[in-house]
Amino acid sequence: MERTIDFLKYRYIAIGASLLFIIVLGIGTFMKGGFNYGIDFVGGHKIIAKFQDSQDVPVNEGVIRRALSDFGAKVQQIGDESKKTYIIITKLEEAASDNVQNDDKVPVSKIELLKKALNEKFPGVSIESEETVGPSIGDYLRKAAWKLSLMAIVLMSVYLAFRFEIKFAVGGMVALIHDIVMSIVFCGFMGIEIDIQVLAALLTLYGYSINDTIVIFDRIRETNQLESKITFTEIINKAITQTMTRTILTSLTTLFAILALFFFGGETLHDFSLVLIVGIIIGTYSSIFIASPVVYGWEKLVAKK
Amino acid sequence: MNRGMVYKSIFIISLIVFAVLLILPTVGTKSMEIRFYDSATEQDIDAVKERFSSDQYKLKINDKTIIVSGRNVTDAIMNEMKIYNGVADAKILDHWAQKFLPAKKITLGLDLQGGMYLVLQADFEGIEKKVGRELTEKDKNEITQQALEIIRNRIDKFGVSEPSIRPRGNEAIEVQLPGVKDPTGVKKAFGDTGTLEYRLVDDTYSKAAMEWFAQNYKDKSLPERFDDLVLVAEDISKAINLPNTLEVLFDYDRNHDTGVVSPKYPMVLQKEISLSGTDIQEATVDRDERGRVVVAFKTTADGSLKFAKVTSEQNHGRRLAIVLDKKIRSAPAIQTTITAGAGTITGSFTYNEALVLARVIKEGALPVSLKIAEERTVGPSLGQDSIEAGVKAFLIGLAGIFIFAIVYYKAAGIIADFGLVLNLVFSIAILSMLGFTLTIPGIAGMLLSIGMAIDANVLIYERIKEELRRGKSVRIAIENGFDRVFWTIFDANLTTILAAFILYQYGTGPIKGFAVTLFVGILVSMFVALYVTRYVYELMSLNKKMTKLSI
Repeated sequence: MERTIDFLKYRYIAIGASLLFIIVLGIGTFMKGGFNYGIDFVGGHKIIAKFQDSQDVPVNEGVIRRALSDFGAKVQQIGDESKKTYIIITKLEEAASDNVQNDDKVPVSKIELLKKALNEKFPGVSIESEETVGPSIGDYLRKAAWKLSLMAIVLMSVYLAFRFEIKFAVGGMVALIHDIVMSIVFCGFMGIEIDIQVLAALLTLYGYSINDTIVIFDRIRETNQLESKITFTEIINKAITQTMTRTILTSLTTLFAILALFFFGGETLHDFSLVLIVGIIIGTYSSIFIASPVVYGWEKLVAKK
Repeated sequence: MNRGMVYKSIFIISLIVFAVLLILPTVGTKSMEIRFYDSATEQDIDAVKERFSSDQYKLKINDKTIIVSGRNVTDAIMNEMKIYNGVADAKILDHWAQKFLPAKKITLGLDLQGGMYLVLQADFEGIEKKVGRELTEKDKNEITQQALEIIRNRIDKFGVSEPSIRPRGNEAIEVQLPGVKDPTGVKKAFGDTGTLEYRLVDDTYSKAAMEWFAQNYKDKSLPERFDDLVLVAEDISKAINLPNTLEVLFDYDRNHDTGVVSPKYPMVLQKEISLSGTDIQEATVDRDERGRVVVAFKTTADGSLKFAKVTSEQNHGRRLAIVLDKKIRSAPAIQTTITAGAGTITGSFTYNEALVLARVIKEGALPVSLKIAEERTVGPSLGQDSIEAGVKAFLIGLAGIFIFAIVYYKAAGIIADFGLVLNLVFSIAILSMLGFTLTIPGIAGMLLSIGMAIDANVLIYERIKEELRRGKSVRIAIENGFDRVFWTIFDANLTTILAAFILYQYGTGPIKGFAVTLFVGILVSMFVALYVTRYVYELMSLNKKMTKLSI
């Protein structure tokens, strides 16, 4: 017979490590001044422009940033340096977003000014794409994100409680919240700009994280029915061990797919895939070291009463 | 092979053939017909030829029409063609598979083909001031629906085909215009509120106009562009000697599915405005004593006098056209004199049609001005780069998964890879059938679902291996493997489907695309792994001598 690894032994270490990770990154995020929301949330402008090399000065991030210093623009190179293509982002000032009257006039004129400045300082520049997001949209997005997160957690817990037992619903829910909180503080700590796509990645993790957890829960349930002689601790350890290969293989194939997006998918998918990569690693870890120990703890708690 | 297996084989093979046919319009070459005006010069035609000079395209030239074929023929390019000198019309031709199958094709999102994306919001604060109370969620929803109707009424002003206009939540409207070249013109089209007028129909001249129309437009449809339509109206006016107190306008019909309104036939109206939109105070959908759907309206105090006049005895039997932005949206006949300041419009409309008419009338009563809350414009070359990057990432990711499966599972890996190819074919087929819009996040969703699709195979194979280790025979191991993991796969995937469903609710364009691809991908992967792959193994285990499994 195969050897069973005692995963439950590490439960306190795992829970402690997770808490430490969340607290440290959380404080880190706080010290950096909170989350870096993209223009999807706070409103602002984003221009993607292709520059021509001028006679004397080569174009690079610094040169563009200095030229647009009046706008407080953030400049970022896309792809190869030879492509001479840059993203220029300016967010709305706080004042503008508070002032309802300016609501749609300020952004519109500001982007015109920005384009004018670009054309004057860099002859031959071509605007490949431009985005303008008003401040009212961000509010809607934020509210919807909270609502849907709540919906995701509730729906999945109900499903688990219905298909399995309450203790599994509790374990799944804790693991889900663990994964999401960890991914969010990771974004905050790394200064990843939270835009619509990063949000989509975070919401996708709800599905992915629980998927992994369920396969293990399913095995615990099955082992529980088949073997009545061994303790619940042994059942859990056995179930995790037996599904270990699958857990690793599936995470690896999914990671393959997303690594390809990360390296070759272009600028637009960069942050999106980074969040998914981290989220998948966290999700795999939590389904082994967090979800099952919580089920175990709940079982013990109920048994005591 | 027993009879059940034969049926199964036939079913699976025909499913594959059907799916392959369905994806042809999407992955195959597409053709576009560009028609020139008779007056078009050599230079005009050469300019178009020049545009398609690269090897990507093939041209077929036939006097004043050019047919361009290539993989990269998009709606954005079609709209680009329409503003070339001398071009009368450009349209993308149906693929032959579309002609006899319910096949649509996957269109590219604006991030991939270039174009303009707008989110509009009604000016709720302005309306609150006007009506003097706070708006409820229901009010806002109704106002947004009204604004939606106005935008649809103006669709021709954007000068693009294949626009997409849809509500986002209760309070905003998303507009997508592929290949639009004139963002300022589009923004202007949203700038003003609708003008609504009520004008009497002249039946004698309308009849003459209809006769002319029946003769000259026997087998062609009216142009969608408003400027072209004005020319047609001029032709009609000349042909029927229209006095200058009258005017030719067109009656518009609204498409059930898309909500797009398009001109159907001409009608002659008096230039004099009998009532203006502001004379009506309120319009709602109601039912009359016989249970028919009607639009009930109330006039203002001023309007009530004008209404009594226009509906007086002498006008009974005549029609009163409801004209929004120079488009006739309805022309009910006057039956009785309305003096009480309230009346109803009856007709054979469905509830939804009545709702639309009520909204049109309301636009006159309470015009909704729109604000641009979000605006994104993507140039065509950036879109091209994004497609290339997306496709490259997709292929590399796919290749990685393929190789991994073969290295780890050997022969069984090849079967899993075959399953993945089927997965892809089925997914694209379903998305084509839905007329799905593919965006960059959509490509990501597809790749992610392929990454997760192999999970089903991994679960099954690991289980079979376990059974083999316990000393079960190959046949029993396969059978147990598939049976035991069915519920595991079901439970695990159902939660991901829940997540996709929740993402879909989030509603904004790109995330919706991602959610749909993920959703379809997971459903298909369950079917392929549990049904098709199983079938392959059942076929293999028909060979009774099989005692070893390469897994």
